[in-house]
Amino acid sequence: MSYTIEARGLQKKFGDFTAVHDVSFGLESGEIFGLLGPNGAGKTTTLRMLSGLLKPTSGEAFVSETSVQQEPTKALAHLGFLTGDMDLYRRLKPEELLTFFGELYQTPKAELKARVSYLMKAFDINDFADRHCEKLSTGQKQRVGIARTLVHDPQVVVLDEPTTGLDIMASEFVLQFIQKVAKQDGKTVLFSTHNLTEVERLCDRIGIVDRGRLVYLGTVADLLAQTGHQSLAESFFHLVGGSTKVEI
Amino acid sequence: MRFPIINSIYRKEIREVLRDKRMLYLVILMPFFLYPVLFTLMGKVGANSRDKINTETIDVVINSEAEGSELAGILTEDSTLNITYATLESNERDSLSGKKLYVKLPTAAELERLNADSNAVVAVAIYGDDGEDIVGNRRRRITEKMEAYGKRVTYERLRVRGLGPDFVKPVNVFQQDTASERSVAGRLLGTMIPVMLLLFIFIGCIYIAIDTTAGEKERRTLQTIYTTPVSTNEIIAGKFLAVATVGLVSAFANLSSLLLSMRLQVSMMSDGNGPSPFSLSLGGADILWIILLVILATIFLAALSMGVVLLANSYKEAQGYVTPLMMIVLIPAIIAGMPGMELTMSTAMIPMFNLCLAMSDIFSGTYSISLIGVTALFALFYGLFGLWIAGRTFGNESVVTGEKVDFKNLFSGR
Repeated sequence: MSYTIEARGLQKKFGDFTAVHDVSFGLESGEIFGLLGPNGAGKTTTLRMLSGLLKPTSGEAFVSETSVQQEPTKALAHLGFLTGDMDLYRRLKPEELLTFFGELYQTPKAELKARVSYLMKAFDINDFADRHCEKLSTGQKQRVGIARTLVHDPQVVVLDEPTTGLDIMASEFVLQFIQKVAKQDGKTVLFSTHNLTEVERLCDRIGIVDRGRLVYLGTVADLLAQTGHQSLAESFFHLVGGSTKVEI
Repeated sequence: MRFPIINSIYRKEIREVLRDKRMLYLVILMPFFLYPVLFTLMGKVGANSRDKINTETIDVVINSEAEGSELAGILTEDSTLNITYATLESNERDSLSGKKLYVKLPTAAELERLNADSNAVVAVAIYGDDGEDIVGNRRRRITEKMEAYGKRVTYERLRVRGLGPDFVKPVNVFQQDTASERSVAGRLLGTMIPVMLLLFIFIGCIYIAIDTTAGEKERRTLQTIYTTPVSTNEIIAGKFLAVATVGLVSAFANLSSLLLSMRLQVSMMSDGNGPSPFSLSLGGADILWIILLVILATIFLAALSMGVVLLANSYKEAQGYVTPLMMIVLIPAIIAGMPGMELTMSTAMIPMFNLCLAMSDIFSGTYSISLIGVTALFALFYGLFGLWIAGRTFGNESVVTGEKVDFKNLFSGR
């Protein structure tokens, strides 16, 4: 089986603290995968190892069957990464920002021009193309950020809590984007979130991380069957040891 | 390392700088407005003060007994002296304040004796509040007139005895400065320009270094670039070149504006005697050496600025590093300008200090190529070392993810 992105026994230690224990999974083309877990469970650390930001203490990450740790330049050329708190270069216009990142991926000039033009149209960026990024609204920034993630037409898109801090409209835009790039364009989308509704709506498979360990890997339907609960929230709490009941 | 990638990062950084009005104002526009305005103001204030000092009206009280004497007449001829006559008691003299002076002159009879008797001596006493005459100008204006009178009396006494003025000045001391005009100019500028250059390079480097490192960490844009297929060295190279470019532009803009303003000021105030500090002429080799040293200083300061401010997690925190860093840069430069400091094999190894001494020697035209070469080699070593440190800092996981930097693992890399 060939995976577009794969975690193979990933472990990350910060001093004596082990943030991620032996996490392994592989994703295929066109798959939408949601990584769930409480705060501090190790989701972001796992995504950072997969995207080359952090070096695993042991294990290896692969993008398009290329080791991120051994050949980062080759592997990262197939990956687009976005986090909810990433800002844009304030004094660049959206087109300049997209072109800059396209150049970093060494996209040929003519191809880059066409790609930027396509993304600006597809994400309705032309409406605010003349403004510097610092003058854009949160929703507009999110559109430019997503377009930036796709400027090199990557095989894999990794999104770390992409809807955090966004209003309903902007969140909906992100969710539709995830659906489209996976199901229409055939890309693999791996995203972390706290929003279980998003997961139920989009994900083909999910991974639940608790205290650095991958405690579940499979479909939402299998999880419900396995735990015997009616909802994903109940199953989630069943796995991570919490409760849906709140006593006041 | 791939040049097109470095070039993209460099162009992006420069584009952002050119759109940052604060940075443009600080680095380029301010020097071209600040120095001319500053020097014009200083010149005007200086000229006004000088005129005021020489023409201000002084209230002079002369002892009544001296009224009508030759010396009193000399003072009365000066229209800037407001003369009145009164004999003050000692307690009144002691309580003199403001711009008033009390001058106790010899009487007319005493002055007659002075001219008739070649051994006679008279006393002139001047009383005034020195706190109101800090530069001693008011006393000077009276003293000069009294001394001129005394000289006339001396020459008259000599003339009566058939002697010339040289009788009382048997030894004439002749002095000549054999230093070339370049050496004089070099000494004057050679202590000032290196310090100014280093300061301006530093100011140019530090603010863009903060924006492109700590600022990007704070905004999490640094993280974005690390998820692209770009190596740490390529990121550093692009950012470093941008920081160094701004440092050089800042140095050039500041220095040219400063020198131009000073030159204009000096030419306005000059009396045409003596060498001008701006009559400095440098040969082609001298200019090349200076350019090389400036480039090496820029490499070091750009790398130092980037490596240090990258440890900060926010723009604000990084600004707190500016003053200590400036001290590290300026203190050796200022010490290098002190008397007795020379470029030797030992001093050529001290960062910043060596560059100032080397540039000073080049300006005065008294340099040894081997010592300048050693200085350049050490400066290059420090610059590359600074870049290596910056590289290690850039590669640190905490820096990449925008977390608090753990100094224990600073050089651990990703």
